[in-house]
Amino acid sequence: MWKFGVDPIPNKMAGRALKRWISWCLTAVILSVAIAACNIVNGRDRVELTLVSFAVTRAAYEQIIPKFTQAWEQQHQQIVEIAQSYSGSGAQTRAVIDGLDADVVDLSLALDVKKIEKAGLIQPGWEKEAPNGAIAHQSVAALVTREGNPKNIKTWEDLTRDGVKLITANPKTSGGARWNFLALWGSITQTGGNEDKALEFTTQVFKNAPVLPRDARESSDVFFNQEQGDVLINYENEVILAGLRGEKLPYTVPEVNISIQNPIAVVDKNVDKHRNREVAEAFVQFLFTPEAQREFAKVGFRPVDPTVAKEVTAQYPPIKTLFTAKDLGGWDKIQKQFFADEAIFDRIQSAIGKS
Amino acid sequence: MSSTTINRSPISKPKSLLAKISQVSLPWRITLGYLTIMLLLPVAALLAKASTEKPSDFWRIATTPVALSTYEITFVTALVAALINGVFGVLVAWVLVRYDFPFKRFIDAAIDLPFALPTAVAGLTLATVYSENGWIGSLLAPLGIKVAFTRLGVGMAMIFITLPFVVRTLQPVLQEMEKDIEEAAWSLGASHWQTFWRVILPPLVPALLTGVALGFARAVGEYGSVVIVASNIPFKDLIASVLIIQRLEQYDYSGATVIGTVLLAISLLILLVINLLQAWGKKYET
Amino acid sequence: MKPKTATEEKVWVKLVLIGGAIAYLALVLFLPALNVFLQAFKFGLGAFFHHLTEPAFLSAARLTVIIALIVVPINTVFGLCAAWVIARNQFPGRTLLISILDIPFAVSPVVTGLMIVLLYGLNGWFGRFLEAVNIKIVFALPAMIFASAFITMPFIAREVIPVLEEAGTDQEEAAKTLGATDWQIFWSVTLPTIRWGLLYGLILTNARVMGEFGAVSVVSGNIIGKTQTLPLFVEDAYKAYESQAAFSASVVLAGLALVTLVLKEIVERKTQIKDVE
Repeated sequence: MWKFGVDPIPNKMAGRALKRWISWCLTAVILSVAIAACNIVNGRDRVELTLVSFAVTRAAYEQIIPKFTQAWEQQHQQIVEIAQSYSGSGAQTRAVIDGLDADVVDLSLALDVKKIEKAGLIQPGWEKEAPNGAIAHQSVAALVTREGNPKNIKTWEDLTRDGVKLITANPKTSGGARWNFLALWGSITQTGGNEDKALEFTTQVFKNAPVLPRDARESSDVFFNQEQGDVLINYENEVILAGLRGEKLPYTVPEVNISIQNPIAVVDKNVDKHRNREVAEAFVQFLFTPEAQREFAKVGFRPVDPTVAKEVTAQYPPIKTLFTAKDLGGWDKIQKQFFADEAIFDRIQSAIGKS
Repeated sequence: MSSTTINRSPISKPKSLLAKISQVSLPWRITLGYLTIMLLLPVAALLAKASTEKPSDFWRIATTPVALSTYEITFVTALVAALINGVFGVLVAWVLVRYDFPFKRFIDAAIDLPFALPTAVAGLTLATVYSENGWIGSLLAPLGIKVAFTRLGVGMAMIFITLPFVVRTLQPVLQEMEKDIEEAAWSLGASHWQTFWRVILPPLVPALLTGVALGFARAVGEYGSVVIVASNIPFKDLIASVLIIQRLEQYDYSGATVIGTVLLAISLLILLVINLLQAWGKKYET
Repeated sequence: MKPKTATEEKVWVKLVLIGGAIAYLALVLFLPALNVFLQAFKFGLGAFFHHLTEPAFLSAARLTVIIALIVVPINTVFGLCAAWVIARNQFPGRTLLISILDIPFAVSPVVTGLMIVLLYGLNGWFGRFLEAVNIKIVFALPAMIFASAFITMPFIAREVIPVLEEAGTDQEEAAKTLGATDWQIFWSVTLPTIRWGLLYGLILTNARVMGEFGAVSVVSGNIIGKTQTLPLFVEDAYKAYESQAAFSASVVLAGLALVTLVLKEIVERKTQIKDVE
C-alpha cells in the first residue's frame, strides 16, 4: 500500500485545512505574545519596574513598595508599578540569566548576583552602585527549639550531641542553608579550629539531620507543622517572621555567628532596554532610607542603617564573634571548596548516606 | 466545513487510491508536524546541550555515585508504585464501571484529584497525613513503619499521583466490553476466578499495560510532591528529578541536562519495551 | 437454579470488591484530599472566600483558565489525529511512533521546562533572534503554553487508541461503502465509538494542564499578577506563610480542573437518552 511518511500526491484540500489549522495556532501564539509584549511599554506618566527577589523578603517589600510608589508619584508625577517575583535565590538567578525581565534583583547570595554579572546582564562594580556594598538588609543564623527547650540546645556544639535531631534546608538548593552551613563551619575555623576539625564537626551535625528540605520555608514547615526534629536552623529574620505569624517557639542566636548579607543590584541590560533606569536606581536607594530600613526591621531583618539599627537594637540578641563570607575566603572560594560537585558538602553527604 | 472531503478531487481515475491517500494525509501531517515542532525540537535541544559535553565528561557526570543511586531509587520505586496501582486500578475501575453504590459518582470524580491538586499540595498533604502524628502515620508508627521522609513516602507520593492512569485507561475499555460474555461464562458454570482470568482480564491487558506504563513514566518524572515527602538525602531517598533541580538551581546546566538525558533514555527504553510487548501480544492474539 | 446461586455469590463478591476499592482509595486518596479541604476551611467560609478575592489569586486563576482554553483544543486535534494514525494504520516504525508519543510522560516536567529554556531562553537556540525581534516567549505566556502542551500531548491519543483498536473498522468501512464522507464517518461513526476514551483524555488533559507545576515554574518567572498560574500561586502563598490561602486556592484549582467531569456527566445523560430511543 503506502509507506510511512511517504505522501506522493499532495492533496490541495487537506493542505488548505492544514494551513488553516496552522494559521489558527499561529494566531493563538501571536495573540499571546502580544498580550505578553504590551507589558513592557513605559511612557511618561506610567513606568513599570520588575523586582525579582528571593522568598523571605516578601513581607518587607509588601510594606516598602507602596511607600516608594507614593513618594515617587509625588516627586515625579509618574505612576510606578512594581511587578514582583519571589522564589528561591538559585531559581531566580537562573531565570534572570535566561531572560526573565528583572530590573532589580535582591538575592540571597552575592554569588548569585555574580553569576548574573558573568552572564553580562549586570555591569561589574555593582557593589559600589548602592550604599553599604549593596547590602540592604542582613541577618544571622538562629536555632529554634521546642517549647521549653527540652534538649537544652544553646550553641552550635550542642547540635552534635547524640539524640539531637536537627532540621535544616539543603545547601544544594537553598541559599539560606548555605549560610547555615557556613555558620557551622565558621564556628570552628573562626574560633581557632582548623579545617579538619571543621569537617568532622559539620559531618557530625549533618548526621543528626534526618531531613533536608528544599528551602528555608519547607524546613520551617517540617519543623513546625510536621513536628519533626528538636532544633531548626534558620535565618533569624525568618524565625521572627514566623513568630509574627503565630509560630512562637523559643530560639537562641549563637554568639559565634555569620553575618548573612543579602545583596541588591540593578540589572543594567534590562533597565536600559526598558528605559527605567532612573526609577530602578531610585528604588534601590530608597531601600537604604530609614523609612524602608524600619520596614525591614519590622519583619526581622537586621537593618544596615546605623540610626535605625540603634532604634531596634533591643530586638536582637548581641553577637560576640560575627564573621562574614569574606572571612571564609569570599564567595568564589566558598563555592569551590564547599558546594561544587564532589566538594566538601557532597563528601559529607555521601559519607552519611552510605553509613 | 466539508472542504476536507475528497469528492472534489480533480483526478478521477485512480480514485480509490487517491482517496485513501488524501484521507490519510491530513491527520498524518498534523501528527508529524506537531510532534516535530512541539516535541522533537525541544528534545533535540536537550540532546544537543548534553552532547556539548565530551563523552568522558558525560559518562563521569552521569555515573557519579549520587547519580547512580538516584536512578536506582527513582526507577525501582516508580515501578513498584505503578504495579501496585496496576492491581488496585483494575479493582477500582471494575467497581466503578460495573457496580452501583452510594456516592459512586462522587468517588468517580475524585479519582482525578491527584491531577487537579498541584503536586506541591499533594506532597504537603501526604507529608501531613503520613507523618508520625498524622491520621494514618500515627497508626503505622507503633508498628515501626515510617512513611513520611523515607523511601516509603516517595513510593506513597508516586502511588498518589499515578492513581488516575490505570483507572482512567481501563474505564473506557470496560465500558465498551460486552457483559454478555461474562454472564455466558458464569452460566456455563465457570467460577468467578476462572471468569476473571480467562474472560475478563485478557481484553483488558493492553489498556492495563498502557495504564501501568503511563503511571510508571509519570512516577519517574515526578518532582513537586516527592520533594516534600522525601528527606532528599542522597543514597536514602533522593530521586533523579530532585537532583536535576538541584543542578539547575546552581545554574549547572550541563549537569542537569546530562542526568535529564539519562533519565529520558532509560524511561524511553522501558516504554519502548512495553509497547513492543503489547504489539507482539496483539499479533499473538490474532 | 444455577443463575440464583450465581447472583447470590455476586452480591457477596460485589461487597468485598467495593469495600476493597474504597479502602484503598481512602488510604491513598481520600484522607490526604480531605486534609486539604479541612485546611482550606479551617477558619470558616468567610476566610475561604476572602482569599479568593485577592487580585493575585484572580489573575492567577484567569491565566490558568486561558492556558487550558488554548492547550486543550490544540492537543485534542492533535491527539485525535495521532490516535487515528496509530490505531488505523500498520506501518514500519509504528511502535517507535507510539514510544515517541510517550516521550512527554518519560520526561520529568522539570526537564521539559529546561528544554524550552534551552530553545527559547536568552541563551537558547532562538534566543538571539527572539530578542532582536522583541518577542518574549520564555517567562511569558507562550512558553507556559508550550510547556503545558508538551506535558499533556499524549493523553488523548493514549486514551483513544485502545478504544479505536477494540472497536475495529467494520462500521467505518460499512459507512464508507454507503457513500459517507470522511467528516460524516468521523462524526456519526468514529466519534460515538471513541467518546469515552476521548472524554477521559480530555479530563486528564485539562486537569493536568491546570495542575502542572514543575515545568511551568521553570519557564514562568512567577511574576505576581502576570505570569503566575494557580499552582504557582499556591506555592507562593504557602511560601509566604499563608497556608490557608494556599489550600483555598488548591480547592478552587481542584474544582476548575474537574470542570470536564461536568461535561462527562452531560454527555452521559445525552447518550443514555439516545440509547433509549
